[in-house]
This record gives sequence, C-alpha cells and structure tokens, in this order.
Amino acid sequence: MTGRALRRYVEDLLHGRRPRRFAATGDDVAPLRTAITLRAGQPGGGDAPRAEFVDALQQRLAAELADPPRPPLRTAEWGLGRRGVLVGAAAVAAASAAGGVLVERTLLTDDTAGHDPDTLTPTSGGWQTVVASEQLPEGGVRAFDLGAVVGFVARTDGVVAAVSGTCTHQGCRLQLNAPSRQLDCPCHTTVFALDGELVAHQLPVPPGPLPRIATREVDGAVQVYSV
Amino acid sequence: MAAYPAWTAVYRDNVDRIYRVLYAKVGNRPDAEDLTAEVFVAALRPLRVSASVGEVRAYLFTAARTVLAGYWRAKLGLEVTTLDDESIESVFDDAPSPSRAEGRTAAILDALPDNYRRILELRFLDSCTVREAAAAMGISTANAKVLQHRALRRAAQVEQEVSR
Repeated sequence: MTGRALRRYVEDLLHGRRPRRFAATGDDVAPLRTAITLRAGQPGGGDAPRAEFVDALQQRLAAELADPPRPPLRTAEWGLGRRGVLVGAAAVAAASAAGGVLVERTLLTDDTAGHDPDTLTPTSGGWQTVVASEQLPEGGVRAFDLGAVVGFVARTDGVVAAVSGTCTHQGCRLQLNAPSRQLDCPCHTTVFALDGELVAHQLPVPPGPLPRIATREVDGAVQVYSV
Repeated sequence: MAAYPAWTAVYRDNVDRIYRVLYAKVGNRPDAEDLTAEVFVAALRPLRVSASVGEVRAYLFTAARTVLAGYWRAKLGLEVTTLDDESIESVFDDAPSPSRAEGRTAAILDALPDNYRRILELRFLDSCTVREAAAAMGISTANAKVLQHRALRRAAQVEQEVSR
C-alpha cells in the first residue's frame, strides 16, 4: 500500500532520517516533492553542511586523489546496486573505445593526409547555410543538423566557429548546456567546451577533442563546410 | 577567466553550494551528505587543472544533476525532484539566499485553508511530533495524521500551480 509507504517516507523526512526506498507511483511524486520543499524551507533549517562533514569529505577526497587505482567509495545505501552497473558499463565502454580508436586512425590516414586532422574535411563538400547571422548574436549558440553532420555553431568575441555535435567517445549526440555554454554528452557525463576541447570526463581514457568544422559568414548567413 | 589554485580550493569554494542545492532537492541530511560526497568523488579527479571557475562549476552542476537523477531512480523509481529547472547562477550565486526555499514554502502555506496550513507549519516548520501537533490544535492524534496527509496533498496541488 503506497499510502503507508508515502507516509513513512514523510515521517522519515520530518525526523531528519534517511528515508527508506519504496516503489513509488505517479501519485506519490507531487506530495513527496512538496514535503521536501516544506522541509527544506524550514527557517534556519539544516541546509548548511555540517563542518565535520565538510572536513571528513575533504580528507576522503585527499586520500582518493593520492591513491588513483582504488575505485571510488560509495557510501550511499543505493550506491551499491549502481556500482555493478557502472563497472559493467565501463568495461563495455573500454572495449568499444579500443575498437573505435583503430577504425578512426585508419580513416584519418587514408582520407585526411595533408589536412588538419582536427577539422572536418569531406572529400566533396560545400558551404551549407546553418543559421542567419542575425539569429546568432554575440555569445549565441545554435545546433544544426545537416543529415550527414550534426554540430553546434557559436559566436564568441564576434567570431563564428562550429564543432561536431557527436561525442568522440562512442558517438552519442551532445546536448547544449546553454547556461554554461558547454556541450554535455548524455552517455558518460563527458563535457566539451564550444571550441571542441575536452572540459571533463569520467572515462578511463580521455576522449579526443571534437572535430572543428570550417565556418564562414557570407551575406548575412553563417555557413559551415560540410557534405 | 580565473582558475583554481588546487583541488582543495575547488572543494572549499563549492562544497557549501552543492550541499545546499542537493539538500533542497532531497530534504534530509544523510542523503544530502552522501550525494555531495558522490558529486565530488566523481567530479574532482577528471577535472582539468587549468579549468576556469566557470567551467568547474558547470561541471560540478552537471555532476550534481546526474547524481540526483540516479538517486531518485534507485530510491523510488521516479524522479521527484531535478536540477533541470535550476540555473548555475542560482546555485553559485555569491550571496546564496536562504530565503528562496523559505519564500516558496510561505507561498504554498499562505494559499492553504487555516487547518491545513496549521498542521503543516507545526510538523514541517516547528518540527512537532504528531502528538504535539494534535495537542496544539485540540484534535486527536488520529485526526492529526489524516489532516496532515490531506494537507500535504492539497499543498502539492498548490505547489504545482505556483510552479506554472
């Protein structure tokens, strides 16, 4: 009976205990969210971290950073279940990445000899309009999809530049994180800057930067060189 | 943009905000502490040393969003709260306003009938037990439980209206 489980969850919140997991239904979500809002909105409530916690976590992080081979500790009750999943996924990712690197190398040496390997250089390409200049103001970012190529074009300090919108790890479509002006990979929490440089990743081997795409601005249109 | 001198600076500068935003989303200290630890354990090692403050915060924010989503998947199988509607600015504002959650709470409570508001105030804000709340309202403990349950469901409707 979920009504009882819901009430127990709320009582745990009210007592500052760690609530126990249960299989919630859609009807539980709104009351739970409100219970959390009300609890977090308690005047002078417990929304600042305990000093002991902050110090203990810093020591734990220092130990982990000094000792790389150890897998990250996960103390959360729900963390144990996830670890198995994460390890499995990481093994698959590592195996696929090794295969991916080989294929990529072969393609690059055949097709792009003499070119900047970091810039997309199709054998028979052309300039394709992706957005009107006026729709890409300073600081703006737009996604584009040309069928064969997807990417993001941005105007930074007046200059337009485009990068591939596909993660260099396993090919997932990147998502624009507009507030941070970064590109997030939904598959492995990898983050790229708008110039294609890797910002952060959680993979055993850092993925390469995003290929750049030649970009120009002509007659009020932003164009990229693509097929 | 400025970069952090060392990982300890990254940690010290951001742990408070990450904890606060996660606490606001899970409503209890044990889980908020675990999730905060999870964010930093996952995020610190892969961070590029030269990353700017803005990049570091964007990454921590993304990590927190992922960790929170995983938490709800494992805890209830449904996402009760997310960081999708929060902006990095609101999380890392240099003068974090503790009144934001309080203002939201007040708005919800103000829209409720008196007895609903009273039971929720007593239990959620004043941390009374059911028994204490019942005594304060002059009703039986059983009635207080039922009243609280109904009040919370009504408050949830109000919150959804407020959010729209």
